[in-house]
Amino acid sequence: MDQRVVDFIHALRAKGVRISLAESIDAMRCVEITGIADKQFFRSALRASLVKEPRDLPTFDELFPRFFGLDAPPPLQQPGGGMSPEEREQLERLLQQMLASLTPEQLRRLFEMMMTGQGMSGSQMRQFIDENTTATQMTTGFQPWATRRALRELQFDRLEQLLQELLQKLREAGVSEAALQQLEQEARENREALAQQIGREVGNGLQQREAEERRRRPAEDVQDRPFEELQHRDDDEMRAIINRLAAQLRTRVALRQKRANKGALDAKSTIRANLRYSGVPLDIRHRRKHLKPRITVICDVSGSMRAVTGFMLMLVYALQDQISRTRPFVYYRTIADVQADFQQLRPEDAIRVVPERVQGGPWQTSLGSCLETFTRDHLDAIDRRTTVIFLGDGDDHMSPPNPRAFEIIKRRAHRVVWFNPEPPYRWGREDNHMHIYGPMCHAVHHVSNLRQLVAAVDGLFS
Amino acid sequence: MFNTIGDVKAALSAQQYIPSDEIATTVFLAEKLGKPILAEGPAGVGKTELAKVWAAATGRELIRLQCYEGLDETKALYEWEYAKQLLYTQLLRDKLNDLLTGVTTLAEAADRLAAEEDVFFSSRFMLPRPLLKAITSERPVTLLIDEIDRADAEFEAFLLEVLSDFQVSVPELGTIRARHQPMALLTSNNTRELSEALKRRCLYLHVDYPTADQELQIVNLKVPGLPPKLAQQAVELVQRLRGMDLKKHPSVSETIDWARALLELNVRHLDRATIEKTLNVLLKFEGDLQRARRAMVRDEGDRARRERDEPGRPRRDDESGRFRGN
Repeated sequence: MDQRVVDFIHALRAKGVRISLAESIDAMRCVEITGIADKQFFRSALRASLVKEPRDLPTFDELFPRFFGLDAPPPLQQPGGGMSPEEREQLERLLQQMLASLTPEQLRRLFEMMMTGQGMSGSQMRQFIDENTTATQMTTGFQPWATRRALRELQFDRLEQLLQELLQKLREAGVSEAALQQLEQEARENREALAQQIGREVGNGLQQREAEERRRRPAEDVQDRPFEELQHRDDDEMRAIINRLAAQLRTRVALRQKRANKGALDAKSTIRANLRYSGVPLDIRHRRKHLKPRITVICDVSGSMRAVTGFMLMLVYALQDQISRTRPFVYYRTIADVQADFQQLRPEDAIRVVPERVQGGPWQTSLGSCLETFTRDHLDAIDRRTTVIFLGDGDDHMSPPNPRAFEIIKRRAHRVVWFNPEPPYRWGREDNHMHIYGPMCHAVHHVSNLRQLVAAVDGLFS
Repeated sequence: MFNTIGDVKAALSAQQYIPSDEIATTVFLAEKLGKPILAEGPAGVGKTELAKVWAAATGRELIRLQCYEGLDETKALYEWEYAKQLLYTQLLRDKLNDLLTGVTTLAEAADRLAAEEDVFFSSRFMLPRPLLKAITSERPVTLLIDEIDRADAEFEAFLLEVLSDFQVSVPELGTIRARHQPMALLTSNNTRELSEALKRRCLYLHVDYPTADQELQIVNLKVPGLPPKLAQQAVELVQRLRGMDLKKHPSVSETIDWARALLELNVRHLDRATIEKTLNVLLKFEGDLQRARRAMVRDEGDRARRERDEPGRPRRDDESGRFRGN
């Protein structure tokens, strides 16, 4: 049983569940205490000691029945139970004859197992499969396919034909029909059991291979994936990711503010706090005034930028308690104020509708004229406390660069920051005007994944 | 204390708590192994309640530490009581003068004072906070560390030390070891990732929303006067709300509150007007309320249309108030 639990832990690890040595020792102790009589308790004990992340629970639920379920293949039976001693001798003799001339070797072994009921242990069967088939080398890792391939390569379907041959010979040797029928039945059951065992071992082999590959490949954090890959996840998952990152950022900001004791002495509060120490100033209070940033975010919603825009806006709206005012704008060929959308809808819904607020199509981004419109119509969104964030690749297919408008924005704002998801080597090539706007910004961040985005947003609060 | 998992179940049930197999097994293992439990899951599924009934079932005192951002050792472990120390120095001034009579040099005076230092840094002037209380308690206790995910990472690291050895060191007094190892339960709403190290030291318990049957059992137990049919309908509605895309799903405690409200209002049948009136007990966000109402109206429309299309089909009672999330 211990071995089985160890195998189970290996399989869990192979699926990416992080289990330390201490936890596997705990699991063993837990199993000792609960015993294995009640499967439900046994299962809960393993679950409590091994799985520490809600996201790993489905993996556990998937693997548990495979290891401790009732679906273990039935053991092989010795066929020929209903035969007289003489008949059995006949069977033995004819079987040996057939086996002697049977090729290939693996088929001979299978037939022997089927007719004598002497099977292989799990590991022997594994070796047998690895030596004779390519099933566990399959890259798809889909067990039913791999099993089918293994059975085909072992010429498993020829067993039926061999069985009929043997039965025919026995019939000619004068074995009774009833005994033959029983023999046929038993041999078939054995064959089913063998097929099941092979399927199971193929599955284990695939898992092991997967585990080895995983060990070679470092685990990839969702934060390090490019935005385009995250785009198609469902809302709940996105929201969970964003909320987690927002909480992380919030803690970071709070800690930084707590540590940064840079405020001026707050005389009133210090006197009040130290009344209990008879006026001896033991506990010095500082005036801590943190100006929350005001943010105006101007996002590119052209096709390639939608994913990163979505994440950025969701993050900004998840951090509303840290921001005193947010003004979102989106641009494509035209620019639009989308604050109303975010007031009426939840951020994830708003993100879906805002691209419709502006005109534009492929290769129609017109940043220069959008800047012009912005300085004409929307300058009220910027005051001397506002941080202006541009989120976009800096492409402009329709109009010349507009540094004049950019300069107007910069002069009014507290800071101007640019978040660019394109790699820096592309900045300033062809229609890209990043080389003009970039040097005018207070800071330019390259944000191609969530980690970089979070780091860049973090910079807004320092 | 408990010999089998069945005992745990019976003891927790006696405290009006319905434990799943999962919960009973984990509590049993925690008792046997002396390991803390980390209970994670959505808000309001009975994680804190579990600590309470666990303490009650074992007859232990419950000591609760509520975590929040900025919680530090002085709030969680101990603090020197400066005010009392100052007061004592004032009152003992004469005594101190006696002590220092006949002293000629400053160094000698300092030495004499230093010899008496122990008086001021003793447990007399120490204000024990929940963790120290749990460790120094004469009798075994259950320690509830609530919403650990809201505390900072550095506090988590500090907690590790306490939870692995159940001892704390106070520089002035030395190391204090637990007399009885407290049974600890940590809860988390999973708003941030807890450290691997902390998880490793704990048994993990994922508490999720109960199934309809379990929830009905809970409602029947907690709100005994509610007619069975009404309880059934109420639970069905709550379960359906959880299937919807809402900002915050109704918790078990809110289901119980709602059931109590229905009982107080003397509701006989759960019709739309009653639901409209009392839905704010279940849903706490305006957006969610509107969403639920819209879904209800849409569903009624669907039903009316269906009845118009198939007039022969009898209207089933249990379909009232049926709606799905979008």
